[in-house]
Amino acid sequence: MDLAYYPGCSLYQSAKLYNHQTKLVFGILDLKLKELEDWSCCGATSAGKINDFMAVALPARNLGIAENSGLSELVIPCSACYSRTMVAQKQLQDFPLLKNEINIELSKKVKGNIKISSALDVLRREIGGSRFNAMTLEKLEGYKPACYYGCMNTRFPYDVSISENVENPQSMETVLEAIGVKAVDWNYKTLCCGASSVIYNTECALDLMAKIMGDALARGADCLVVNCPMCQMNMESQQDQYCKKHDIKERLPVYFITELVGMALGLSKEELQPGDDLFITGMNWTDLCGDSV
Amino acid sequence: MSTQPYKFDPHAADIFTREVAARSGQKINSCYQCKRCAAGCPVAEDTGMVTPNRLIRMVVLGDIESALTNKLTWKCLFCHTCGTRCPNNIKTGRIADTLKKMALDAGIDPQQPEYKNFHRAFFHYSLRHGRINEIGMMGEFQLRNMWDHLKKRNYVAIISEIMSKSTLAWKMFKQKRLHLSFHSSKGRDEISRLYKKSSGRKWI
Repeated sequence: MDLAYYPGCSLYQSAKLYNHQTKLVFGILDLKLKELEDWSCCGATSAGKINDFMAVALPARNLGIAENSGLSELVIPCSACYSRTMVAQKQLQDFPLLKNEINIELSKKVKGNIKISSALDVLRREIGGSRFNAMTLEKLEGYKPACYYGCMNTRFPYDVSISENVENPQSMETVLEAIGVKAVDWNYKTLCCGASSVIYNTECALDLMAKIMGDALARGADCLVVNCPMCQMNMESQQDQYCKKHDIKERLPVYFITELVGMALGLSKEELQPGDDLFITGMNWTDLCGDSV
Repeated sequence: MSTQPYKFDPHAADIFTREVAARSGQKINSCYQCKRCAAGCPVAEDTGMVTPNRLIRMVVLGDIESALTNKLTWKCLFCHTCGTRCPNNIKTGRIADTLKKMALDAGIDPQQPEYKNFHRAFFHYSLRHGRINEIGMMGEFQLRNMWDHLKKRNYVAIISEIMSKSTLAWKMFKQKRLHLSFHSSKGRDEISRLYKKSSGRKWI
């Protein structure tokens, strides 16, 4: 099945690993990802703080490209891009005059009818029909992850309909159960990690991250599983800082959901977390493997 | 904290509330101060207990100075815990965003320039190139900060910025998250036409 794919800016740089793993895992599940041609930045949370019109127009441009590609579903792994695109689609539906104004300038016009899914939505849908090798599932025995969703998957600045429980989301738990991993139940599944405020309001963000870590550890988790690249970066790259600040001795690895799913599908650690050069030199997936995925 | 009682002007309060409500799209007058938002706000302790319900109260009372300079307006994480739990569906994160924009329009700077510079750097960088390159965006963020510190002759802040961001860059490099690649989008022409169309628009 062919899906339109919008990676977003962070999946090309600090979250390149997520891009790599998503393409690998989706390839094995027989889902061909067609990256949007000449996609542009969605504006993330910053656009709305400067200019409301552009906060809708920037994702609208990508929606136009997706719809004009002829595909019926758009997959967006990054939670911020997913949130902004969902909100923009709903606002374009609710305000047709705004849609017309934006469409005047776009070469690929938006109609507003494409289905938008996060990478996790697609995984949840497709994982049930997969058959797993007992040997690969054995590798996952003993993992006790705490599934961390963050803000942008479940809470939106505009009323959009999602098929997820806002206070106690279960998508990652469902996917993990399908591959034989039981996630721990814990309190801070959706507590904000501070996101980009770690750059300009560091201390507050570190306190929030320490709260998340503290509860995950108290519930006996041995790793965190996330589907948002910002959360993954914060929880992992700042771990020493916030743990030292709050006297937390343990450290937990922070995996993307695609990593555990990839292991269940038979991929090795090396394939899922390839060597350093892939990410330092800026090589991309097609350089390595051509168009086979 | 002011020691003088606040002088309430119902006419001015009405105008301010209507403007904030129109720009943010939120039904500000529906708030009945139940404080479900306050209980969930992750930055409440950091803002000196200015919680979302207090922010709404400032707007309703027409206290423009407090509304535009309090800590929650700038430190709000836009996590929407408040908006999701509000029984009247008031998304206070959007009210905080609107107040940020109104403060910038009025020339009111947050105490620390980083609060406005980060989002400005992100937004303008993305308009210029079509996509965000993290090093370039952070570089622009730093230049804007330095300029603001220089204007106030705050040399200590400049030195501490250089040191903290160099540490951050080195840490990202060690974790293989620092990428020297450059990507851009040809769509920046369309985007810049849309941006020209948007200038001066306050009510979307």
